[in-house]
Amino acid sequence: MTKPQVVFDPFSDAYFNDPYEIYLRMQDDAPVYYSEEFDFYALTRHADVAAALKDHETYSSTRGCDLAMVQSEEGPQKSIIFMDPPEHRVLRSLVNKAFTPRAIQSQRETVEQLVDHYLAQVDPDNFDVIQDFSGPFPVEVITRMAGVPEEYRQQVRHWIDTSLTREPGNIGYTEAGMQAAIDSGMYYYKLAQERRANPQDDMISRLIAAEIVGEDGQPRKLDDIEIAGFTSLLGGAGAETVTKLVGSAVVTFAKNPEQWQMLLDDRSKVPAAVEEMLRFDGPVHYNVRFTLKDAQLHGTTIPAGKPVFLMKAAANRDPRAFTDAHVFNIDRDRTEAQNLGFGYGIHSCLGAALARLETTIAVERLLDFMPRYEVNWDGLEKVHMQNVAGYHHVPVKVLR
Amino acid sequence: MTGKIVVDFGLCESNGICMGIIPEVFDLDDEDYLHVLSDDVTPENEQQIREAVRQCPRQAISIEESS
Repeated sequence: MTKPQVVFDPFSDAYFNDPYEIYLRMQDDAPVYYSEEFDFYALTRHADVAAALKDHETYSSTRGCDLAMVQSEEGPQKSIIFMDPPEHRVLRSLVNKAFTPRAIQSQRETVEQLVDHYLAQVDPDNFDVIQDFSGPFPVEVITRMAGVPEEYRQQVRHWIDTSLTREPGNIGYTEAGMQAAIDSGMYYYKLAQERRANPQDDMISRLIAAEIVGEDGQPRKLDDIEIAGFTSLLGGAGAETVTKLVGSAVVTFAKNPEQWQMLLDDRSKVPAAVEEMLRFDGPVHYNVRFTLKDAQLHGTTIPAGKPVFLMKAAANRDPRAFTDAHVFNIDRDRTEAQNLGFGYGIHSCLGAALARLETTIAVERLLDFMPRYEVNWDGLEKVHMQNVAGYHHVPVKVLR
Repeated sequence: MTGKIVVDFGLCESNGICMGIIPEVFDLDDEDYLHVLSDDVTPENEQQIREAVRQCPRQAISIEESS
Protein backbone atom coordinates (compact mmCIF):
# COMPACT_ATOMS: atom_id res chain seq x y z
CA MET A 1 0.00 0.00 0.00
CA THR A 2 1.33 3.42 -0.88
CA LYS A 3 0.86 6.21 1.61
CA PRO A 4 -1.60 8.95 0.68
CA GLN A 5 -0.16 11.89 -1.17
CA VAL A 6 0.34 15.07 0.82
CA VAL A 7 -2.27 17.73 0.08
CA PHE A 8 -1.44 21.42 0.48
CA ASP A 9 -4.58 23.50 0.10
CA PRO A 10 -3.70 27.01 1.33
CA PHE A 11 -7.37 27.81 1.89
CA SER A 12 -8.41 24.72 3.85
CA ASP A 13 -9.16 24.23 7.54
CA ALA A 14 -6.60 21.42 7.69
CA TYR A 15 -3.89 23.86 6.59
CA PHE A 16 -4.98 26.73 8.85
CA ASN A 17 -5.05 24.39 11.85
CA ASP A 18 -1.66 22.72 11.45
CA PRO A 19 0.50 23.94 8.58
CA TYR A 20 3.77 22.54 9.95
CA GLU A 21 2.82 18.87 9.63
CA ILE A 22 1.90 19.51 6.01
CA TYR A 23 5.20 21.34 5.38
CA LEU A 24 7.25 18.39 6.71
CA ARG A 25 5.51 15.98 4.40
CA MET A 26 5.90 18.31 1.44
CA GLN A 27 9.63 18.62 2.13
CA ASP A 28 10.05 14.85 2.31
CA ASP A 29 7.63 13.63 -0.35
CA ALA A 30 7.09 16.55 -2.71
CA PRO A 31 9.88 19.16 -2.62
CA VAL A 32 8.41 20.56 -5.84
CA TYR A 33 4.76 20.36 -4.89
CA TYR A 34 2.13 20.70 -7.60
CA SER A 35 -1.54 21.38 -6.95
CA GLU A 36 -3.71 20.06 -9.73
CA GLU A 37 -6.74 21.67 -8.19
CA PHE A 38 -5.38 25.22 -8.25
CA ASP A 39 -2.57 24.80 -10.83
CA PHE A 40 0.27 26.15 -8.68
CA TYR A 41 3.66 24.90 -7.49
CA ALA A 42 5.15 25.21 -3.98
CA LEU A 43 8.73 25.07 -2.66
CA THR A 44 9.30 24.20 0.99
CA ARG A 45 12.95 23.21 1.48
CA HIS A 46 15.19 25.93 2.88
CA ALA A 47 17.79 25.74 0.10
CA ASP A 48 15.12 25.94 -2.60
CA VAL A 49 13.15 28.78 -1.02
CA ALA A 50 16.27 30.85 -0.29
CA ALA A 51 17.55 30.38 -3.84
CA ALA A 52 14.18 31.28 -5.35
CA LEU A 53 13.86 34.44 -3.22
CA LYS A 54 17.22 35.58 -4.62
CA ASP A 55 16.34 34.70 -8.22
CA HIS A 56 13.92 37.41 -9.30
CA GLU A 57 14.77 36.77 -12.94
CA THR A 58 12.99 33.42 -12.71
CA TYR A 59 10.54 34.07 -9.87
CA SER A 60 8.91 37.40 -10.61
CA SER A 61 6.79 39.56 -8.31
CA THR A 62 5.15 41.52 -11.11
CA ARG A 63 1.99 39.46 -11.18
CA GLY A 64 1.33 39.89 -7.47
CA CYS A 65 2.18 37.85 -4.41
CA ASP A 66 -0.96 35.90 -3.68
CA LEU A 67 -2.60 33.22 -5.77
CA ALA A 68 -5.74 35.09 -6.79
CA MET A 69 -3.65 38.03 -8.03
CA VAL A 70 -1.11 35.93 -9.92
CA GLN A 71 -3.90 34.02 -11.64
CA SER A 72 -6.04 37.04 -12.46
CA GLU A 73 -6.14 38.30 -16.03
CA GLU A 74 -5.63 42.00 -15.39
CA GLY A 75 -2.68 41.69 -12.98
CA PRO A 76 -2.18 43.61 -9.76
CA GLN A 77 -2.23 47.33 -9.13
CA LYS A 78 1.15 49.07 -9.27
CA SER A 79 2.86 48.53 -5.95
CA ILE A 80 6.43 48.13 -4.73
CA ILE A 81 5.87 44.52 -3.69
CA PHE A 82 4.59 43.70 -7.17
CA MET A 83 7.72 44.93 -8.97
CA ASP A 84 11.01 43.52 -10.18
CA PRO A 85 14.20 45.52 -10.71
CA PRO A 86 14.78 48.20 -11.87
CA GLU A 87 11.36 49.70 -10.97
CA HIS A 88 11.46 48.09 -7.54
CA ARG A 89 14.76 49.73 -6.64
CA VAL A 90 13.51 53.19 -7.56
CA LEU A 91 10.49 53.01 -5.27
CA ARG A 92 12.24 51.26 -2.41
CA SER A 93 14.91 53.93 -2.32
CA LEU A 94 12.20 56.52 -1.59
CA VAL A 95 11.44 55.03 1.80
CA ASN A 96 14.28 52.78 2.94
CA LYS A 97 16.32 55.49 4.67
CA ALA A 98 13.52 55.81 7.24
CA PHE A 99 13.74 52.13 8.16
CA THR A 100 17.44 51.46 8.77
CA PRO A 101 18.20 50.07 12.23
CA ARG A 102 19.77 53.38 13.19
CA ALA A 103 16.91 55.52 11.87
CA ILE A 104 14.34 53.34 13.55
CA GLN A 105 15.85 54.02 16.98
CA SER A 106 14.00 57.33 16.82
CA GLN A 107 10.79 55.34 17.26
CA ARG A 108 11.87 53.71 20.52
CA GLU A 109 10.17 56.18 22.84
CA THR A 110 6.93 56.04 20.84
CA VAL A 111 6.92 52.25 20.95
CA GLU A 112 7.63 52.16 24.69
CA GLN A 113 4.85 54.63 25.42
CA LEU A 114 2.32 52.72 23.32
CA VAL A 115 3.27 49.34 24.76
CA ASP A 116 2.98 50.68 28.30
CA HIS A 117 -0.27 52.45 27.49
CA TYR A 118 -2.03 49.32 26.25
CA LEU A 119 -0.57 47.02 28.88
CA ALA A 120 -1.73 49.37 31.65
CA GLN A 121 -5.32 48.98 30.52
CA VAL A 122 -5.61 45.19 30.50
CA ASP A 123 -7.16 43.03 33.20
CA PRO A 124 -4.34 40.70 34.41
CA ASP A 125 -6.90 38.02 35.31
CA ASN A 126 -8.22 37.72 31.80
CA PHE A 127 -6.99 39.57 28.75
CA ASP A 128 -6.57 38.86 25.08
CA VAL A 129 -2.96 39.33 23.99
CA ILE A 130 -4.02 39.97 20.40
CA GLN A 131 -7.08 42.16 20.74
CA ASP A 132 -5.99 44.10 23.82
CA PHE A 133 -2.25 44.41 23.22
CA SER A 134 -0.36 43.17 20.16
CA GLY A 135 -3.14 44.24 17.79
CA PRO A 136 -3.55 47.86 18.87
CA PHE A 137 0.05 49.03 19.38
CA PRO A 138 2.03 48.25 16.16
CA VAL A 139 -0.55 49.84 13.87
CA GLU A 140 -0.22 53.07 15.87
CA VAL A 141 3.54 53.20 15.29
CA ILE A 142 3.56 52.61 11.56
CA THR A 143 0.50 54.69 10.68
CA ARG A 144 1.92 57.55 12.72
CA MET A 145 5.15 57.35 10.72
CA ALA A 146 3.12 57.18 7.52
CA GLY A 147 1.02 60.21 8.43
CA VAL A 148 -2.42 58.79 9.24
CA PRO A 149 -4.24 61.03 11.75
CA GLU A 150 -4.72 59.50 15.18
CA GLU A 151 -8.47 58.95 14.94
CA TYR A 152 -8.06 56.64 11.92
CA ARG A 153 -5.14 54.52 13.10
CA GLN A 154 -7.14 51.69 14.69
CA GLN A 155 -9.53 51.71 11.73
CA VAL A 156 -6.57 50.84 9.51
CA ARG A 157 -6.04 47.64 11.52
CA HIS A 158 -9.64 46.52 11.09
CA TRP A 159 -9.51 47.18 7.34
CA ILE A 160 -6.38 45.03 7.02
CA ASP A 161 -7.81 42.19 9.10
CA THR A 162 -11.02 42.10 7.11
CA SER A 163 -9.39 42.34 3.70
CA LEU A 164 -6.88 39.50 4.32
CA THR A 165 -9.49 37.08 5.67
CA ARG A 166 -10.20 34.05 3.48
CA GLU A 167 -13.15 31.72 3.94
CA PRO A 168 -12.08 28.06 3.78
CA GLY A 169 -12.23 26.88 0.19
CA ASN A 170 -12.21 30.37 -1.29
CA ILE A 171 -9.07 31.93 -2.76
CA GLY A 172 -10.31 35.51 -3.17
CA TYR A 173 -11.70 38.33 -1.03
CA THR A 174 -14.78 37.81 1.12
CA GLU A 175 -17.56 40.32 0.44
CA ALA A 176 -16.69 42.25 3.60
CA GLY A 177 -13.01 42.03 2.64
CA MET A 178 -13.65 43.61 -0.75
CA GLN A 179 -15.57 46.43 0.92
CA ALA A 180 -12.74 46.96 3.44
CA ALA A 181 -10.18 47.11 0.62
CA ILE A 182 -12.29 49.71 -1.20
CA ASP A 183 -12.92 51.78 1.94
CA SER A 184 -9.24 51.72 2.84
CA GLY A 185 -8.19 52.65 -0.69
CA MET A 186 -10.63 55.57 -0.75
CA TYR A 187 -9.44 56.76 2.63
CA TYR A 188 -5.76 56.79 1.63
CA TYR A 189 -6.58 58.45 -1.68
CA LYS A 190 -8.34 61.26 0.15
CA LEU A 191 -5.47 61.52 2.63
CA ALA A 192 -2.95 61.79 -0.25
CA GLN A 193 -4.97 64.68 -1.69
CA GLU A 194 -5.10 66.40 1.69
CA ARG A 195 -1.35 66.10 2.17
CA ARG A 196 -0.70 67.34 -1.35
CA ALA A 197 -2.56 70.53 -0.42
CA ASN A 198 -1.04 70.71 3.05
CA PRO A 199 2.23 68.75 3.48
CA GLN A 200 3.33 67.53 6.93
CA ASP A 201 6.48 65.92 8.29
CA ASP A 202 5.42 62.37 7.45
CA MET A 203 6.07 59.64 4.93
CA ILE A 204 3.06 60.31 2.77
CA SER A 205 4.17 63.94 2.28
CA ARG A 206 7.68 62.79 1.40
CA LEU A 207 6.27 60.42 -1.21
CA ILE A 208 4.27 63.30 -2.68
CA ALA A 209 7.41 65.44 -2.92
CA ALA A 210 9.60 62.66 -4.34
CA GLU A 211 10.59 62.52 -7.97
CA ILE A 212 11.31 59.25 -9.72
CA VAL A 213 12.52 58.33 -13.18
CA GLY A 214 9.56 57.14 -15.20
CA GLU A 215 9.41 54.35 -17.77
CA ASP A 216 10.16 56.86 -20.54
CA GLY A 217 13.34 57.98 -18.76
CA GLN A 218 11.80 61.33 -17.80
CA PRO A 219 11.48 62.43 -14.17
CA ARG A 220 7.97 62.24 -12.80
CA LYS A 221 6.02 62.42 -9.54
CA LEU A 222 3.95 59.64 -8.03
CA ASP A 223 0.22 60.05 -8.56
CA ASP A 224 -2.34 59.92 -5.76
CA ILE A 225 -3.30 56.32 -6.51
CA GLU A 226 0.33 55.19 -6.27
CA ILE A 227 0.78 57.12 -3.03
CA ALA A 228 -2.44 55.72 -1.56
CA GLY A 229 -1.34 52.18 -2.48
CA PHE A 230 2.13 52.65 -1.01
CA THR A 231 0.87 54.10 2.27
CA SER A 232 -1.77 51.42 2.59
CA LEU A 233 0.88 48.75 2.06
CA LEU A 234 3.14 50.22 4.76
CA GLY A 235 0.23 50.22 7.19
CA GLY A 236 -0.61 46.62 6.44
CA ALA A 237 2.88 45.21 6.38
CA GLY A 238 3.89 47.10 9.50
CA ALA A 239 0.93 46.26 11.68
CA GLU A 240 -0.59 42.82 11.54
CA THR A 241 2.77 41.08 11.22
CA VAL A 242 4.06 42.16 14.63
CA THR A 243 0.57 41.57 16.02
CA LYS A 244 0.78 37.92 15.02
CA LEU A 245 4.44 37.46 15.91
CA VAL A 246 3.86 38.60 19.51
CA GLY A 247 0.62 36.61 19.85
CA SER A 248 2.18 33.40 18.56
CA ALA A 249 5.18 33.93 20.82
CA VAL A 250 3.00 34.09 23.95
CA VAL A 251 1.50 30.72 22.94
CA THR A 252 4.92 29.24 22.14
CA PHE A 253 6.42 30.37 25.44
CA ALA A 254 3.42 28.93 27.33
CA LYS A 255 4.23 25.58 25.73
CA ASN A 256 7.95 26.03 26.50
CA PRO A 257 7.97 27.64 29.96
CA GLU A 258 11.65 26.88 30.52
CA GLN A 259 12.44 29.25 27.62
CA TRP A 260 10.38 32.04 29.26
CA GLN A 261 12.30 31.37 32.47
CA MET A 262 15.59 31.74 30.58
CA LEU A 263 14.47 35.23 29.53
CA LEU A 264 13.38 36.11 33.05
CA ASP A 265 16.83 35.07 34.24
CA ASP A 266 18.70 36.87 31.48
CA ARG A 267 17.08 39.76 29.64
CA SER A 268 20.02 40.07 27.28
CA LYS A 269 18.59 37.04 25.48
CA VAL A 270 15.47 38.89 24.32
CA PRO A 271 16.83 39.87 20.88
CA ALA A 272 17.92 36.26 20.23
CA ALA A 273 14.48 35.10 21.39
CA VAL A 274 12.84 37.46 18.89
CA GLU A 275 14.86 35.86 16.06
CA GLU A 276 13.83 32.40 17.23
CA MET A 277 10.17 33.44 17.48
CA LEU A 278 10.41 34.60 13.91
CA ARG A 279 11.96 31.34 12.78
CA PHE A 280 9.74 29.02 14.78
CA ASP A 281 6.34 30.60 14.19
CA GLY A 282 6.70 33.78 12.16
CA PRO A 283 3.67 35.55 10.75
CA VAL A 284 4.42 35.43 7.03
CA HIS A 285 4.12 31.85 5.83
CA TYR A 286 4.53 32.35 2.11
CA ASN A 287 4.68 34.69 -0.82
CA VAL A 288 3.66 33.71 -4.31
CA ARG A 289 5.85 34.40 -7.34
CA PHE A 290 5.30 33.89 -11.08
CA THR A 291 7.83 32.02 -13.22
CA LEU A 292 9.17 34.03 -16.14
CA LYS A 293 11.08 30.98 -17.44
CA ASP A 294 11.28 27.26 -16.79
CA ALA A 295 12.86 26.28 -13.48
CA GLN A 296 14.52 22.89 -12.90
CA LEU A 297 14.52 21.43 -9.38
CA HIS A 298 14.83 17.89 -8.06
CA GLY A 299 14.26 16.42 -11.51
CA THR A 300 11.04 18.38 -12.02
CA THR A 301 10.44 21.28 -14.37
CA ILE A 302 8.30 24.17 -13.22
CA PRO A 303 7.15 25.63 -16.54
CA ALA A 304 7.24 29.35 -17.27
CA GLY A 305 4.03 31.21 -16.44
CA LYS A 306 3.10 29.37 -13.23
CA PRO A 307 2.39 30.60 -9.71
CA VAL A 308 4.95 29.28 -7.20
CA PHE A 309 4.41 29.46 -3.45
CA LEU A 310 7.71 30.20 -1.67
CA MET A 311 7.04 28.75 1.77
CA LYS A 312 9.28 30.68 4.16
CA ALA A 313 7.65 29.25 7.27
CA ALA A 314 8.31 25.73 5.98
CA ALA A 315 11.92 26.60 5.12
CA ASN A 316 12.45 27.98 8.62
CA ARG A 317 11.54 24.56 10.03
CA ASP A 318 13.45 22.51 7.49
CA PRO A 319 15.44 19.77 9.31
CA ARG A 320 17.93 19.92 6.40
CA ALA A 321 18.84 23.48 7.43
CA PHE A 322 18.38 23.61 11.21
CA THR A 323 19.32 21.18 13.96
CA ASP A 324 16.16 20.12 15.83
CA ALA A 325 14.21 22.42 13.54
CA HIS A 326 10.92 21.70 15.32
CA VAL A 327 12.27 22.62 18.73
CA PHE A 328 11.84 26.18 20.03
CA ASN A 329 15.24 27.12 21.40
CA ILE A 330 16.19 30.75 21.98
CA ASP A 331 19.83 29.71 22.41
CA ARG A 332 20.10 28.03 19.04
CA ASP A 333 23.06 28.57 16.73
CA ARG A 334 21.73 31.22 14.37
CA THR A 335 24.53 30.87 11.87
CA GLU A 336 23.34 27.42 10.74
CA ALA A 337 21.06 28.86 8.09
CA GLN A 338 19.51 32.14 7.06
CA ASN A 339 16.29 32.92 8.94
CA LEU A 340 13.79 33.57 6.16
CA GLY A 341 11.19 35.13 8.46
CA PHE A 342 11.85 38.56 6.95
CA GLY A 343 12.35 37.16 3.47
CA TYR A 344 15.66 37.40 1.62
CA GLY A 345 16.99 39.48 -1.25
CA ILE A 346 15.41 42.46 -2.97
CA HIS A 347 11.97 42.15 -1.35
CA SER A 348 13.26 41.36 2.14
CA CYS A 349 11.23 43.12 4.80
CA LEU A 350 11.65 46.89 4.68
CA GLY A 351 10.44 47.20 8.26
CA ALA A 352 12.60 44.46 9.78
CA ALA A 353 14.38 46.80 12.19
CA LEU A 354 11.09 48.34 13.32
CA ALA A 355 9.54 44.89 13.81
CA ARG A 356 12.56 43.81 15.87
CA LEU A 357 12.39 46.95 18.01
CA GLU A 358 8.64 46.64 18.63
CA THR A 359 8.79 42.94 19.41
CA THR A 360 11.81 43.30 21.69
CA ILE A 361 10.11 46.04 23.71
CA ALA A 362 6.84 44.08 23.81
CA VAL A 363 8.58 40.95 25.12
CA GLU A 364 10.57 42.93 27.72
CA ARG A 365 7.40 44.54 29.05
CA LEU A 366 5.50 41.23 29.03
CA LEU A 367 8.30 39.67 31.10
CA ASP A 368 7.70 42.38 33.71
CA PHE A 369 3.93 42.20 33.46
CA MET A 370 3.44 38.44 33.43
CA PRO A 371 6.51 36.58 34.70
CA ARG A 372 4.14 33.65 35.15
CA TYR A 373 1.02 33.23 33.06
CA GLU A 374 -1.30 30.66 31.62
CA VAL A 375 -3.06 30.53 28.27
CA ASN A 376 -6.75 29.66 28.20
CA TRP A 377 -6.26 26.96 25.56
CA ASP A 378 -9.99 26.63 24.81
CA GLY A 379 -10.15 30.29 23.88
CA LEU A 380 -7.31 30.20 21.34
CA GLU A 381 -8.49 31.02 17.86
CA LYS A 382 -6.39 31.08 14.71
CA VAL A 383 -6.83 33.49 11.83
CA HIS A 384 -7.90 32.21 8.42
CA MET A 385 -5.92 34.51 6.21
CA GLN A 386 -3.77 34.31 3.15
CA ASN A 387 0.03 34.73 3.33
CA VAL A 388 0.00 35.21 7.09
CA ALA A 389 -0.73 32.89 9.99
CA GLY A 390 -1.24 33.37 13.70
CA TYR A 391 -3.99 33.89 16.21
CA HIS A 392 -7.05 36.07 16.38
CA HIS A 393 -7.52 35.49 20.10
CA VAL A 394 -4.94 34.52 22.74
CA PRO A 395 -6.65 34.71 26.14
CA VAL A 396 -4.18 34.85 29.02
CA LYS A 397 -4.28 34.96 32.80
CA VAL A 398 -1.37 36.34 34.80
CA LEU A 399 -0.45 34.04 37.68
CA ARG A 400 0.56 35.52 41.00
CA MET B 1 41.79 32.14 -3.33
CA THR B 2 42.01 35.88 -3.55
CA GLY B 3 39.21 38.25 -4.39
CA LYS B 4 37.62 41.63 -3.87
CA ILE B 5 34.52 42.57 -1.94
CA VAL B 6 31.86 44.26 -4.03
CA VAL B 7 28.89 46.02 -2.42
CA ASP B 8 25.83 47.02 -4.41
CA PHE B 9 25.01 50.31 -2.69
CA GLY B 10 21.65 50.45 -4.40
CA LEU B 11 20.66 47.30 -2.53
CA CYS B 12 22.38 48.00 0.79
CA GLU B 13 19.99 49.29 3.46
CA SER B 14 22.44 49.60 6.32
CA ASN B 15 21.20 46.65 8.32
CA GLY B 16 24.70 46.29 9.68
CA ILE B 17 24.69 42.49 9.78
CA CYS B 18 28.04 42.43 7.96
CA MET B 19 29.53 44.87 10.45
CA GLY B 20 28.34 42.58 13.24
CA ILE B 21 30.17 39.66 11.67
CA ILE B 22 33.44 41.36 10.74
CA PRO B 23 33.77 44.99 11.85
CA GLU B 24 37.36 45.13 10.63
CA VAL B 25 36.02 45.04 7.08
CA PHE B 26 32.52 46.55 7.14
CA ASP B 27 31.69 49.79 8.93
CA LEU B 28 28.52 51.89 9.09
CA ASP B 29 29.19 55.55 9.68
CA ASP B 30 27.00 57.99 11.61
CA GLU B 31 25.05 58.76 8.46
CA ASP B 32 24.26 55.09 7.95
CA TYR B 33 26.57 54.72 4.97
CA LEU B 34 28.44 51.48 4.67
CA HIS B 35 32.19 51.64 4.18
CA VAL B 36 34.32 48.73 3.12
CA LEU B 37 37.47 49.36 5.13
CA SER B 38 39.50 46.83 3.19
CA ASP B 39 38.14 45.11 0.12
CA ASP B 40 40.70 42.31 -0.06
CA VAL B 41 39.51 38.81 0.66
CA THR B 42 42.32 37.00 2.43
CA PRO B 43 42.64 33.46 3.76
CA GLU B 44 42.28 34.96 7.26
CA ASN B 45 39.03 36.81 6.68
CA GLU B 46 37.51 34.76 3.88
CA GLN B 47 35.25 32.63 6.06
CA GLN B 48 33.75 35.62 7.87
CA ILE B 49 33.29 37.57 4.66
CA ARG B 50 31.46 34.63 3.08
CA GLU B 51 29.25 34.52 6.16
CA ALA B 52 28.50 38.23 5.71
CA VAL B 53 27.66 37.63 2.05
CA ARG B 54 25.27 34.84 2.99
CA GLN B 55 23.62 36.61 5.90
CA CYS B 56 23.08 39.96 4.21
CA PRO B 57 19.28 40.17 4.11
CA ARG B 58 19.50 42.34 1.01
CA GLN B 59 22.04 40.14 -0.78
CA ALA B 60 24.00 43.32 -1.45
CA ILE B 61 27.52 41.93 -0.92
CA SER B 62 29.42 39.73 -3.34
CA ILE B 63 32.97 38.57 -3.88
CA GLU B 64 34.59 39.18 -7.23
CA GLU B 65 36.96 36.27 -7.53
CA SER B 66 40.30 36.63 -9.25
CA SER B 67 42.23 33.54 -10.16
